[in-house]
Amino acid sequence: MRSFKWKTWTFSGLALALMVVTVIISVLHGTKPIRYETAWEALVHFDEGNVDHQIIRTSRIPRAIGALLIGGLLAASGALMQGMTRNPLASPSIMGISDGSVFAITLCMAFLPGASNMAMVGYSLAGSALGGVLVFGISRLLPGGSSPVMMAVLGTVMGTFLGGLSQALASYYQVSQNISFWYNARLHGISPDMIQLAIPFAAAGLILALFMARPMTALSLGEEIAAELGMNVKLIKSLTMLSVVIMTGISVAIAGKIAFVGLILPHITRFLVGPDYRRIVPLSALLGALFLGWCDLISRFLNPPFEVPIGVVTALFGVPYFLYLIKTRGGGRSE
Amino acid sequence: MNRRSEASRFWLVLLGCLILALACIYISLTNGTFDLSVRDIVKTLLRIDPQWDHDLVVFDFRLPRIVIAALVGCGLGVAGAVLQGITRNGLADPGILGIHAAAGSAVVLFMFLTQGTVKGTGIWSFLSMPMFGWLGGFAAVWLLYMFARHHGSLDPGRLILVGIALGSGFGALTMYISLKMNPQDFEMATVWLSGSIYGANWEQVLGILPWLLVLIPVIWRKAAVLDIMQLHESSVVGLGVRVNTQRQWLLICCVGIISACVSVSGSIGFVGLIAPHIARRLVGLHYRYLVPVCGGIGMVMVLLGDFLGRIVFAPAELPVGIVISVIGVPYFVMLLYRAKRAKA
Repeated sequence: MRSFKWKTWTFSGLALALMVVTVIISVLHGTKPIRYETAWEALVHFDEGNVDHQIIRTSRIPRAIGALLIGGLLAASGALMQGMTRNPLASPSIMGISDGSVFAITLCMAFLPGASNMAMVGYSLAGSALGGVLVFGISRLLPGGSSPVMMAVLGTVMGTFLGGLSQALASYYQVSQNISFWYNARLHGISPDMIQLAIPFAAAGLILALFMARPMTALSLGEEIAAELGMNVKLIKSLTMLSVVIMTGISVAIAGKIAFVGLILPHITRFLVGPDYRRIVPLSALLGALFLGWCDLISRFLNPPFEVPIGVVTALFGVPYFLYLIKTRGGGRSE
Repeated sequence: MNRRSEASRFWLVLLGCLILALACIYISLTNGTFDLSVRDIVKTLLRIDPQWDHDLVVFDFRLPRIVIAALVGCGLGVAGAVLQGITRNGLADPGILGIHAAAGSAVVLFMFLTQGTVKGTGIWSFLSMPMFGWLGGFAAVWLLYMFARHHGSLDPGRLILVGIALGSGFGALTMYISLKMNPQDFEMATVWLSGSIYGANWEQVLGILPWLLVLIPVIWRKAAVLDIMQLHESSVVGLGVRVNTQRQWLLICCVGIISACVSVSGSIGFVGLIAPHIARRLVGLHYRYLVPVCGGIGMVMVLLGDFLGRIVFAPAELPVGIVISVIGVPYFVMLLYRAKRAKA
């Protein structure tokens, strides 16, 4: 046990240090290389007329921070999800949450064309909640519906359904282009006020997640055991769900659908620090942040001067890892 | 006696499908932005007193589209039945297993490599696109086998999970390739990928027809093998069927059909998933009956879906794939609910 504790601290320290390095690289490199001194000046003596300073302040820094933030949120919600469903393959990206967001944004663009950015983020969150509740609700209704395979199928199928509905509406109201713009110009078009908007949600979600981490360890052993330990399983599950929806919802709202972060990082973390969710949740958040930060860097260097969508980069790592998980964990059974 | 009644039921269902399909064809031919009367259609088809505008609407726009819809639906229905038979898994579907995505990637890669020439479209490009799709489909099936095999047999649960993983992997690959294309090809690729058949033309019919004409009868001939495969794997071996060889043959045929369909219509999901379920309720479990009925049901589904996509939101058009998924998903969830409750 002691050794796990040491490991947790070591890895957290390492992750934080690497994160700083990632931010520095991410700020200095890009389509236009910027010198170290210029970057420092942009922070200390900001000059509005200087193009480089503008790039740093309004584009590079928000982007670097955004990538870290979203990576952390996705990985933490993946960890909670896997603990709660006791399903090693659960991940927020296949649970209908992002498709729910697309649906809500479509409705909003079709019927409330003048909505502000803030309102859109709110609708996107509501849509994510709807998607998550839909998939979970149906999996509860079906006997045997919460097995990993069934969950994955239901998530995919409901995702297609919501996606189809939104595409139908979008093409009827002729807003498809706006919607694809809303989702595709995300991470690299992230602006400082988006980050400001996201931070309270992110903080709320993460704090809730950290509170849930303790009961999660018991819950991951089985609902009966958790109930025998005197826990209110229903309450814990609903609060966990709430935290997942807030965290994933806000990251979908500001960065679009990014798959696989929430799936693979919790596994790596569990491998590093053992089964205690009090360590898994925070450390997966840190590692997730680091991972997405690097993916963002790679997305800039893979096909210069164009940027590869970050989802492609995460899939590059995620798909092989997912296949490996299925191969080793047996996939079909949750135990 | 029982056998006779089953056979007569089969013919009845097949006749029903045919009538429905004809009804769909009739309404798709007559309705649209440019309304035609039945008499106009008959006249145009029989070349009595031909008028150039009717000719244009019927032969260049509506008819190829209808023929493509019918062929693709038929192919996907049969392919779905075979996949569910081989894997003994009612959730198997070319879309869920990632075969659509893989064939799609391969076709997009083909479009990318022959950049610019795609627009000019010689007949060769229509004939070679299914070939490329076939290779992609094979890559997917090979990977499926590699990762889903457990102690020598296919584990149904793993198969689905591996399929979902492959689907998202190939999806990412497609996105990567399509972003490297020039804007015109990109436009064409996205329209095509979302499962639409508005650009249907006679060359495409020619590209897909041979695959279906050859492969569907081959599969039908193997119906008995598919029946036996529903038993437990060890009993199948005990009955003297060379399971692996037969399964590979069936898979090759099945992937061929799927790739041909994907190469003309993009990814139209859920037909291969739902058609076999409906067919099983109608004609029972024998593949001898299931294969043609699945084809018929798939045909009706795609024809109807395309018609609805064209009419409901006119003048905007919805890709068939979307119409079918919006209608199909609730039905599919209901099916799951019923099946599970019956079992419990």
